[in-house]
Amino acid sequence: MKRYGEHRFPGKLFVVEGIDGSGKSTQLMLVHQWLRAEGYGVVFSEWNSSPLVRDTTRRGKKRQMLIPSTFSLLHATDFADRMEHNIIPLLKAGAVVLCDRYIYTAFGRDVVRGMDPKWARGLYSFAVKPTLAFYFRVPLEVAMKRILTGRAGLKYYEAGMDLGLSDDPEESFRLFQARILEEYEKMIPEFDLTVVDATLPIEEQQEQMRQHVRAKLAQAKRLRVAP
Amino acid sequence: MRESYGVVLPDLNLAELTGKLIVIEGTDGVGRSTQINLLRPWLEQLGRAVLDTGLSRSELAGRGIKQAKEGHTLGPITLSLFYATDFADRLENAIIPALRSGFVVLTDRYIYSLMARAIMRGLDPGWVRNLYGFALRPDAIFYLRVSVDDLIPRVVFARGFDYWESGMDLFPSEDMYEAFRKYQTALLVQFDKLAEADGFEVIDATPDAHAVFRRLQEGISRVLSGEPRAPLFAAEAPAATAEKVKEKEGKPGAQASGKESDQEASR
Repeated sequence: MKRYGEHRFPGKLFVVEGIDGSGKSTQLMLVHQWLRAEGYGVVFSEWNSSPLVRDTTRRGKKRQMLIPSTFSLLHATDFADRMEHNIIPLLKAGAVVLCDRYIYTAFGRDVVRGMDPKWARGLYSFAVKPTLAFYFRVPLEVAMKRILTGRAGLKYYEAGMDLGLSDDPEESFRLFQARILEEYEKMIPEFDLTVVDATLPIEEQQEQMRQHVRAKLAQAKRLRVAP
Repeated sequence: MRESYGVVLPDLNLAELTGKLIVIEGTDGVGRSTQINLLRPWLEQLGRAVLDTGLSRSELAGRGIKQAKEGHTLGPITLSLFYATDFADRLENAIIPALRSGFVVLTDRYIYSLMARAIMRGLDPGWVRNLYGFALRPDAIFYLRVSVDDLIPRVVFARGFDYWESGMDLFPSEDMYEAFRKYQTALLVQFDKLAEADGFEVIDATPDAHAVFRRLQEGISRVLSGEPRAPLFAAEAPAATAEKVKEKEGKPGAQASGKESDQEASR
């Protein structure tokens, strides 16, 4: 909705995006620790975490009742709840808000599931534009190796089994993620995403992230709170 | 030919949806469910298979919406999206399969009630239109309309005031009666706007239920026989009508096909 768009709230919003296994959550956690140690008011908001919608989402996933349209709309509902009740009030209060996944995750997944790209973008037009959106770019095989060694079995929707790409969860996941990667690549110029090479050593990626974040926080000194 | 409001759902072939989609719209307490309870057996007697459906009854989201509303904690965007989820679930899992099988689908409200409520709560009308862009365009939308003064006794004496029907989330400082008046008055304005934009057939719901039922029967009979609706806002050019009549007279077999559109003119 045009009500928000480019916000003028005193807070800052940093988001990380990338396919599963890109290392984005690790990087966001390190930024979180750093900002807290620096004395900023930092709040973390996770994708798909609104208590209001959680029961419906859980039920829909467990019973495999979700179809592309309801998958999309239910995630938008969850996101809207967090936006209205959490993210916007925090930004008004001057907090630094960190989001693990944001609207770009929805655009990637919804479009791969066959929803109209313009429709999906219109759906989320109420979202606040992030101060910075980092995209952790990683080759599919690298991400797959990280995921499949560190995790017990893939879940139905996580593996994109509802798309009917393959009966084998691992193969389905691979094909699904490959399509999402293509969508992310299109979104880099469209939304001016800040690309981080996610094959670099963790500390190097973190240093790059901190440089970008620091540059934005310099204009927001009053955010500082007593440690 | 079936159409959507702009966005086609994945893997949906609109040409397969041969049934009829008939919407009964109107504000709270106007008698929609009474009418549907009369229409269903009537249609079944005519040999038509009927699906009747309504808002927040989906298997997926029906329960979640109910729970969330009990807490009264929903923001306007969130509430609209939750309703849209519920609508999409019913559209894809109930309405579309029934239309594909040639059913008459009678729906107690459709996207218009949802759109009116969302716009009332300050959401951008363009955003709301886009949200429901995947909805199917109905074959007919019958809008049961009453004034707020007629509505009050119907609602209050039947079941008392309801928090959401009274728009208490919008007018929390008013008592239920004042809030109900304000909310329903504003809602009627929104409905009247949609009626014009989306071509509702307005039925005055002030008379007794039977008179309203007869009007609905007429309208639905017309839809089922494939006749065009009477023009609402612009009269058809007389020359064109005359031409169609002539054409029809020359083809006596056309009437039986039922799909052609000019029987009314030829009578």
